[in-house]
Amino acid sequence: MDYELPTEFDIIIIGTGVIESIISAAASRIGKRVLHIDSNNYYGGLWASFNLDAIQKLATVEETLNEGLGNTFFNVKNFEIEWHIPSETPPESTEWSRQSLLKESRRFNLDLAPKLQFARGDFVELLISSNIARYSEYRSVSRVLTWLNGQLETVPCSRSDVFANNKVTVIEKRMLMKLFLALDSGEEDYHNYENKTFRAFLTDKKLTPNLIHYVLYAIAMCTDDTPCLQGIKNTKRFLDSLGRFGKTPFLFSMYGSGEITQAFCRLSAVFGGIYALNQPLKGLILNGDNFEGITCGTQEIKAGVLVMGAEKAPPHFIKQHPKSSIARAILITDKSIMESEKEHLTLLLYPPEGGKNSCVVLELGCLTGTCPKDLFVVHLISRQVEGPQNDFKHIIGNLFGPEKANILWSCYFSIPDSNDLDLTVETPKNVTLCPGPDLDLDYDDAVRKAKAMFTDIFPDCEFLPRAPDPEEIIIEGETSDQDNVELKAESAKTEE
Amino acid sequence: MDDYKFLFKVVLVGNAGVGKTCLVRRFTQGLFPPGQGATIGVDFMIKTVDVDNEKVKLQIWDTAGQERFRSITQSYYRSAHALILVYDISCQPTFDCLPDWLREIEEYASSKVLRVLVGNKIDREDREIPTHVGEEFAERHNMYFLETSAKEAENVERLFMQIAEDLMKQARSRDLPRYDASTTNINGRTSTVSDSNCCSRFQ
Ligand SMILES: Nc1nc2c(ncn2[C@@H]2O[C@H](COP(=O)(O)OP(=O)(O)OP(=O)(O)O)[C@@H](O)[C@H]2O)c(=O)[nH]1
Ligand SMILES: [Mg+2]
Repeated sequence: MDYELPTEFDIIIIGTGVIESIISAAASRIGKRVLHIDSNNYYGGLWASFNLDAIQKLATVEETLNEGLGNTFFNVKNFEIEWHIPSETPPESTEWSRQSLLKESRRFNLDLAPKLQFARGDFVELLISSNIARYSEYRSVSRVLTWLNGQLETVPCSRSDVFANNKVTVIEKRMLMKLFLALDSGEEDYHNYENKTFRAFLTDKKLTPNLIHYVLYAIAMCTDDTPCLQGIKNTKRFLDSLGRFGKTPFLFSMYGSGEITQAFCRLSAVFGGIYALNQPLKGLILNGDNFEGITCGTQEIKAGVLVMGAEKAPPHFIKQHPKSSIARAILITDKSIMESEKEHLTLLLYPPEGGKNSCVVLELGCLTGTCPKDLFVVHLISRQVEGPQNDFKHIIGNLFGPEKANILWSCYFSIPDSNDLDLTVETPKNVTLCPGPDLDLDYDDAVRKAKAMFTDIFPDCEFLPRAPDPEEIIIEGETSDQDNVELKAESAKTEE
Repeated sequence: MDDYKFLFKVVLVGNAGVGKTCLVRRFTQGLFPPGQGATIGVDFMIKTVDVDNEKVKLQIWDTAGQERFRSITQSYYRSAHALILVYDISCQPTFDCLPDWLREIEEYASSKVLRVLVGNKIDREDREIPTHVGEEFAERHNMYFLETSAKEAENVERLFMQIAEDLMKQARSRDLPRYDASTTNINGRTSTVSDSNCCSRFQ
């Protein structure tokens, strides 16, 4: 590299996961001098997206024990990739081969941690209020499915869905609408249900078994044991996000979830954050219980504060090791799990079954910018019981095979969950560790965590105020007779 | 101001210091910024131009300094209609890095994106890259080629007008990289409009 990194910052951020990137953007936004650095040569860490070539290579760089910073507690585990098609097919054949699929490698954006966003969730509100929404595009999920009585069924989400659904009887329609309205109005009284389950509540409402299934497993994304108040909260959240963008409450970011971290990093850079990927991070400079800087290659770089992804931390910072994992599968298939005329972006909420946890299944077509035409990418996400292969066997058996969609390529792995750990116990006071991906469907919890960490580090500072639009920026040195005084403050100059 | 018929996204790449920001500001604001350093908070600049009596809005994106340590986000390249790759004619290393840049472009930009190679700073006396060397490189890689000076306002207008005209031609023959129109744009203004009604789609 021809350039040396500057050697003094207010804050150094190591790792480009979602929480780190949000903190980076927020710090740059209030004028802090930020160094955002990663040992990987890509953005996103455990939240990244890869093309087909790159994800295969990821599987082969097994547990390289780094002499630099980092630990292996949070590494992706149980990586297994399998092809289900021949390596070549005759030139005249229209069947997919490994070769023809790999030729399209770049068209794939395969997420390690696929997420959706609630249309009225905290995350979408933050994107809008901070003006970060301009860096990415979204598609709305076009249908929500569940697995009921041995087959796929469309979950009636909205009022019009409820009425259009021909599997739901007229009486059921009324019941469901009544429930939605009652929850919406907030007039229901739940005080008898404080110690009961959501299932018990729905049963008491005399909903039919099918309706209980729709509401419990799909709309509220609960299990049989979920407390009533949690179930109510989840249902309201689902209903609240309806009708803003598209037919369901959910949005997916075009080109994959890996775009999200990049959007925050771009904002950070636009506000002066210095970015350096692929850096030889050697270690931390500590003085007793105080962080003073990092060693990067031969350089020593100083800062008052360090924020880092938990997976980048020295092993002795990690007192508690991950206890549970997120089981993951990524499949490339040749048909939708439920074919229809138009291409759908499908969310399937698969209920718990036979000792296996409930599973989120996300099916993405080429309109999402994550796979080539005529193919689909299917993500499976669940709390791990035995391991990804075994945990998903029953679902994959039910959804794919002869007469149904075929799996061309599959990839299984587990991501250790760092979200239930106390990551503060062994770290110096001015060091903050960020957890990796969680099991949530969305980013709202990640935003909450990032905001709490930011406020902890920079008390009394505004968290991601709205960035001005280009039209509003007045560049200093120009004579301007407009009186946009308040905006002028936004365009301070850097001294280099 | 907002009555344009076409909106094109143009992105600039190239090594640090080759004059990307100066080119953008020369074109959009007609000035050559004194002194060094990027202006904080500027994401992209907009200029509306006339092509064949049609209003064409160019949205011109700069690298935000992420190129300094080769850390441009992939998402920077998304949805670009044209891409300007800049080197400094008085600085050999900025030319030597072009193949690296092309590799990155191949990987992340649409294959249909209009590509232009620009040798900047022709006002300088200490030229290291002869014009024909740049020209040949561009030809080999199927790119337009132009030499400019942001400082002396040489060819800058022409560079962006050429791009606008070409993209218009492509748009008319429907050969533009097509970015799906049914994606949801959730920026603030549209959302306040859409708050009360359902199923809003924008763009
Ligand atoms: N002589 C001459 N100098 C130029 C020209 N264009 C830019 N410069 C100078 O080159 C330096 C870098 O210009 P910038 O526009 O900041 O370059 P950049 O490519 O945006 O670089 P970074 O944003 O720093 O990565 C500045 O000192 C400019 O004054 C030009 O046409 N002629
Ligand atoms: Mg610049």
